[in-house]
Amino acid sequence: MKSIPIGSALLLAAGLAVAAPAPPDPPLRVVTSTTDLADLARQVGGTRVRVTHISRGYQDPHFVEAKPSFVLELRKADLFAYVGLDLEIGWMQPLLDGARNAKILRGGAGNLDVSTAIPVIDVPQGNVDRSQGDVHPLGNPHYWLDPENGKRIARLFRDRFSALDPGGAAAYDANTLAFEARLNAAARGWAADLARIKGKPVVAWHTSWRYLADYTGMRIVGFVEPKPGVPPSASHLAGLILTMQRTGAKVIIMEPFYNRKTADFVASKTGATVLIIPPSVGGVKGVDDYVALMKYDIGAVASAFR
Amino acid sequence: MRTLLVAVIMVLPGADLVAAQNPDSLARAREDSLRIVRELQAMGRRDTAAGQAPPQGRGPVNPRLLPDISAVGDLVADFSPKGSTQENASRVGVREVELQLIAAVDPYFRGEFLAAWSDAEGATLEQAILTTTSLPWGLQLRIGRVPLPFGKQNILHREALHTIEFPYVIQRFLSEEGLKANGVVASKVMAPFGFYQELQATVADRFGEAPEDLVAESPPSRTLEGLGYGLRLRNYWDLSESSNLEISASGATGLREQPFAVPVDDISATLVRQTLVGLDVTYRWRPLQQGLYRSFLLQGELMKQLNSQDVPPNYEGPTRDFTGAYLLARYQVGRRSYIGARYDWVQDPEAGGIAHQAGTIQFQFLPSEFSKITAAVERRGLKGEGGTTRLLLQTTFAIGPHRPHPF
Repeated sequence: MKSIPIGSALLLAAGLAVAAPAPPDPPLRVVTSTTDLADLARQVGGTRVRVTHISRGYQDPHFVEAKPSFVLELRKADLFAYVGLDLEIGWMQPLLDGARNAKILRGGAGNLDVSTAIPVIDVPQGNVDRSQGDVHPLGNPHYWLDPENGKRIARLFRDRFSALDPGGAAAYDANTLAFEARLNAAARGWAADLARIKGKPVVAWHTSWRYLADYTGMRIVGFVEPKPGVPPSASHLAGLILTMQRTGAKVIIMEPFYNRKTADFVASKTGATVLIIPPSVGGVKGVDDYVALMKYDIGAVASAFR
Repeated sequence: MRTLLVAVIMVLPGADLVAAQNPDSLARAREDSLRIVRELQAMGRRDTAAGQAPPQGRGPVNPRLLPDISAVGDLVADFSPKGSTQENASRVGVREVELQLIAAVDPYFRGEFLAAWSDAEGATLEQAILTTTSLPWGLQLRIGRVPLPFGKQNILHREALHTIEFPYVIQRFLSEEGLKANGVVASKVMAPFGFYQELQATVADRFGEAPEDLVAESPPSRTLEGLGYGLRLRNYWDLSESSNLEISASGATGLREQPFAVPVDDISATLVRQTLVGLDVTYRWRPLQQGLYRSFLLQGELMKQLNSQDVPPNYEGPTRDFTGAYLLARYQVGRRSYIGARYDWVQDPEAGGIAHQAGTIQFQFLPSEFSKITAAVERRGLKGEGGTTRLLLQTTFAIGPHRPHPF
């Protein structure tokens, strides 16, 4: 008796599988280097793009492994969007070489250096060499942490998506406007947090929080890293502790992928709070889109000053 | 990181004492900590002064279209108790300096040159490669002098290895410095079974390095049969977000000069087919969130050298097959330090097939991505004979543009 319902179920399932139309392929396949760009691409592209990303939000985007499985995503991509300013220099080129996809190589219509839409800060002046640490000669690449740059990125996606898929131009335009409205509404919500943060001294682990500092008005008075990418020495930490005591900095901001023991040690000497906040979408549970990321980070910094 | 923390804990409690004793050094430390902030603030002012100018106004970053130029130094010191084991018997030497130039040639090709200098061998051209960038169907051609795609480590530059020297099975069956091939490598990436696969086929002028002291009646490449041919199939799986596995198979064959017992009319060698087959396995683990501080790699390669039994009279070359393998483990103990060990076993063709074994342990310290210091202790020897101990210290450093991280 049991075989009848099972057989029926299988037949029904098979029938449904045949009857159900396969979802149509979206016009654009987009691969981004980071989760932040991926979310912004989704916001702008809506149902007309299929977006995947390479790094994770809780991973240091400088040190992504160039796994061959990423090549499989890239070889079919219509567009590869990346942060640029050498953020992905350690892993992007082997993946692009492996993908053998002329569309997304430099110079191709599907190669999008997002930094071209950004007013970049921290561009080194004069001679640049490795004695300055793992310096980014073209400027600070962590620009997505300023919501104004989030809007610039969305507009850049709108323009490029429209060029690659002219039939979707109106949808991309509408989606971009909707995203900006959502972000503006969220910004009105965190205005009180900004007022609390403005002018407050903080210490950051890496230069990745410079754009957020510019947006919020917090003052970064020192870095745990003596130079970008260089772990701190004892003498540097001693100097940093004195700097914090002198300036009254009581918050150390760092990413979840650094070892917090060093920051905890500095905090124990200064009475500061170690604030671990995500630099990217997906960096902590619940921060699943760009607006949520900005809201979470700004709220967390403001809370540290309550 | 634990080492760093211990150092910090040891140093910092004495900071007040240091301040009392040496105010100058403390002032310097504070100055150091503030300098980067001032520089960034100054840059910010300049950027702001630019009035958030339209970013489209940025000019090209390389207006003269210069290639990326980088150089790598590879220095090796040999403190082995019974004398240096280096090729030129030096205790401290420049094993190699590499100069590399890479650039797009045109919309269809990328060009790469790699020249090397060493104390032992002088100047050599390591690589000269023209790589296609726009072939259809996922195809790619690499034309010129290329590392022979055989096994996992042979394609690496020696200074980029996880160990100071190539595993002995590669040194004995391929070359001490990894085997290059003058020819064409065609490759295709595919995923017919849902995972990454890459097939690489090589046609080369010859298989193996040309021997300096052997002269055959004609070069191996005189006939198509004598060219070098290779095939490699890579298979890669993501086991989880943090771990992955690669299992690949390789084969290469060609005619090679093998010695006569007695030279005939200045002809000291004959051409005999030699084939090499291999299997390599690599397991990697790196947790994404703590990937700056922890990782693990386990790698092994098994190779078999097949020599022809059908040989002419007066032949003194190998008439048996040889097998060899290695197993390598490397664990990251901190942000800048690794420990590792390797076991080598190879039926040594130069010793009539007697097993040559070696065990190595090593410690690596990477001050940054651009420099590396490796200290290794190795015990090696032929089976049945007394072993020797080697103490090696290697320093490598790179200047120039940021190179891709090895994977």
